[in-house]
Amino acid sequence: MTEEKKPEERKKRRTATEAASKIGPMVKAAIGGTVQAREEGKPLAYSFICCCYDEIIRAMDVIPVWTENYAGVCGAKRDAQRFLERAEAENFSRSLCTYALCGLGFDAWREELGEMPPESPWGGQARPDMMLGSGQMLCDPRNKWYQAAQQYMPDVPVYDVGLPWPPYEDDYDYREVQDYYVKYIVAELKGLVQFLEKHTGRKMDWDHLSELVDLTDRTWNLIWETYELRRAVPSVMGTGDAMNTMVPMVFMMATQEAYDFYQELNDELKHKIANKEGEIPDEKYRLIWGGGLPSWFALSDFNYFNSKGAVFPVEVTYRMIEATYNFDMDLSKVSDPLEHIAWRWVKFWTYWYDRARQRPGSHPDVERLIKYIEDYKIDGIVMHEAFSCRSWHVGLIWQLNMLKKVYKDIPSLILESDIVDISSYNEADTKARIDAFIDTLEAVKSR
Amino acid sequence: MPEKAVVKGLAAAERLYQDYGVRARELKKQGQKILGYLCAFVPLEIVTAAGFMPFRIKGDVNEPITKADTEMETIVCPLVRSCFDMALKGNYDFLEGIVIPHACDSICRTYDVWKYTLNLPYAHFINMPHTTGDSSLDFYRDILNTFRTSLGRFAGKEISDQELARAVELHNRQRAKVRELYELRKASPPLISGEEVARVLIAAISIPVAESIELLGDVIEEVGQRGSTPAPKKARIMVIGAQVDSIAFIKLIEDSGAWVVADDLCPGAREFMSSVDLTADPIEGIAERYLRKVKCGRTYREMKGNYEEDLEDRFGHMRQMIDDFKVDGVVLYIYKYCDPFGFEVPQIKSYIEAKGTPVLYLEDEYSMSTIGRLRTRVQAFLEMLG
Ligand code: SF4
Ligand code: SF4
Repeated sequence: MTEEKKPEERKKRRTATEAASKIGPMVKAAIGGTVQAREEGKPLAYSFICCCYDEIIRAMDVIPVWTENYAGVCGAKRDAQRFLERAEAENFSRSLCTYALCGLGFDAWREELGEMPPESPWGGQARPDMMLGSGQMLCDPRNKWYQAAQQYMPDVPVYDVGLPWPPYEDDYDYREVQDYYVKYIVAELKGLVQFLEKHTGRKMDWDHLSELVDLTDRTWNLIWETYELRRAVPSVMGTGDAMNTMVPMVFMMATQEAYDFYQELNDELKHKIANKEGEIPDEKYRLIWGGGLPSWFALSDFNYFNSKGAVFPVEVTYRMIEATYNFDMDLSKVSDPLEHIAWRWVKFWTYWYDRARQRPGSHPDVERLIKYIEDYKIDGIVMHEAFSCRSWHVGLIWQLNMLKKVYKDIPSLILESDIVDISSYNEADTKARIDAFIDTLEAVKSR
Repeated sequence: MPEKAVVKGLAAAERLYQDYGVRARELKKQGQKILGYLCAFVPLEIVTAAGFMPFRIKGDVNEPITKADTEMETIVCPLVRSCFDMALKGNYDFLEGIVIPHACDSICRTYDVWKYTLNLPYAHFINMPHTTGDSSLDFYRDILNTFRTSLGRFAGKEISDQELARAVELHNRQRAKVRELYELRKASPPLISGEEVARVLIAAISIPVAESIELLGDVIEEVGQRGSTPAPKKARIMVIGAQVDSIAFIKLIEDSGAWVVADDLCPGAREFMSSVDLTADPIEGIAERYLRKVKCGRTYREMKGNYEEDLEDRFGHMRQMIDDFKVDGVVLYIYKYCDPFGFEVPQIKSYIEAKGTPVLYLEDEYSMSTIGRLRTRVQAFLEMLG
């Protein structure tokens, strides 16, 4: 692809925090690092974020290639369309997860050429030695994507880790079933360790794994404490930044670097709070990003909100941690590292269940919204429905309806586009909808 | 039941198909409790053993989706949206509850929408694993026992092993009947059309299992007594897809001059070809069947052997059917927004083509208007087959 034909690249988004501005180069270095690792013959594994086995791959010194991340980068650089089209030409429906489509299109192309496609963003996505799916419960692509990728890389083995959590039901408490969930997850994680041992020829260092499990607990708690600082008025860090600061959380968990990053962010936020340094000078409306992954090619929409006096001190997206000391069990007593990981996973996903039981007719997802609305003094809720991912983008309308039913009527906006596929995005229309929403907020405020 | 005595076989199937749920409504009046379910992954044996009549919730390609959109995003697969729309419009107001399995994202992610919006006395999500290893099977047995306890609580009784074993036997008899029905499709020309089979199977999932066995038996008998064999047509077609709960698409193919003689569909071969083994603990056999024997894209089958062997394990049954039913061409009929099948399209297509059978891949949106638009492509495909 020649320079002239290259689609317009995203303008760099203005961040409020120093920490967020460091993320771009970090991601670039990480992606470059995987390409280099491949050349050096180090074992690489395609992996999904929030897979709960970060510590295991890190302890085995396997280098994760976060395929969702690479697709997001292509999206952010507005250079994903050619990979999406390639996937479509391979007979994948354009309605499927566009992270997956971008990745599959890229893989098909790279494998055909025997080298990276021309001008691949940030050096390209390295060929893996293994692919680690996570069978249920986050989404179907986590089972199906790597299996589909095998037609381009039939020699690359897949291991699919079953990772369910108990559903929220009326007629039984999740505690009645949690033991067998944990037992299953432990068995699946053991299978993962065996798989990695087989394909790397290495042995798991269990003491090292325990250290990383502990580091992960500490990182979770630090992130939670750091994000809670954002309750401050005026808002010191918005969702636009959080879409960057999630990177160490989901791509670098179980590394000292991630911990250090949040320590710095924590210091920075405290400093801003002490100096009453808001992310914008005249904060008028406090919003919650109530669901949906962002359009990576349109993160500057957050700046547009800012220009209208709106800030996002909190979001549910990519807040994939809770403080482990708030769990209803003492996690530190679980010394077996695999069991520890399994319990943390189950306790994370069931964290809001008890609150939901206390409000008749409520639901954990709705309770979480209510808690954030109250803690962060929220005036309105914005969600994004990305057409290609059912996992995070179905149930949004229903949640808003529920919120109204069990709590209160709060101004809301659902933007519609995609995570990667820019052809679904209409800038003028998006801005018009944001303007109308701001008018609603203003009308409610001045009532 | 006076009308039952008169209307039998294909005519009965037609009535049950046209007025879907008619029998459930009649039975409800007589005090029968009915549980609605989505997809082929609800272990019906447990529902039957608990004394409920399982009723498959289906959509309607003729009915524009209007109400569902106020609660459910349009990025959900159109089949699920149509099912939900029908439920919201009161078509399934005889249901006591719903049971929804973890089939795919469209189903899993809408469970709460179904549960809270319909607000029926009973709702249960069967958190079926997606992988098939031994630990998954153990876990799935636990999941099934949780369902068994939960449904037992709702029914006000414990579901005994004997009741389960009886239900297993009953459902197996139904599956055996469907296999018998499929045998009639092997003849050339087939003794029963694809449209007729589809209608009978759709009718069968809307009535008690015992009645469906009777219905299938009557149809087999009736077809056997037909005087003339049907006219030969251009080609013998197999349709592969997810839940195809309308005859419209099959009819379109047959109206274009081919026979549909085989399928990998729900309701269809996917859900009726395999039975439950009779095991000492009936849950064992049930778990084994739904997790490992029913081959559907929603389940990730662990790789055994190399890539070629893996394809054989995943799709070998399709090739077997192509051989057994002398199929000339395959139509891969997939809904937009269907994740499990969407990801498999290239592999299924190339696998079948590599064995020498042409494949037409069509993406559809589950509506009469879109189905109609596929006619030219189907015709061109049939022309190509000669
Ligand atoms: S479907 Fe959604 S959750 Fe799954 S990989 Fe795609 S973007 Fe991620
Ligand atoms: S058609 Fe596909 S997406 Fe829809 S319910 Fe069936 S498997 Fe799920």
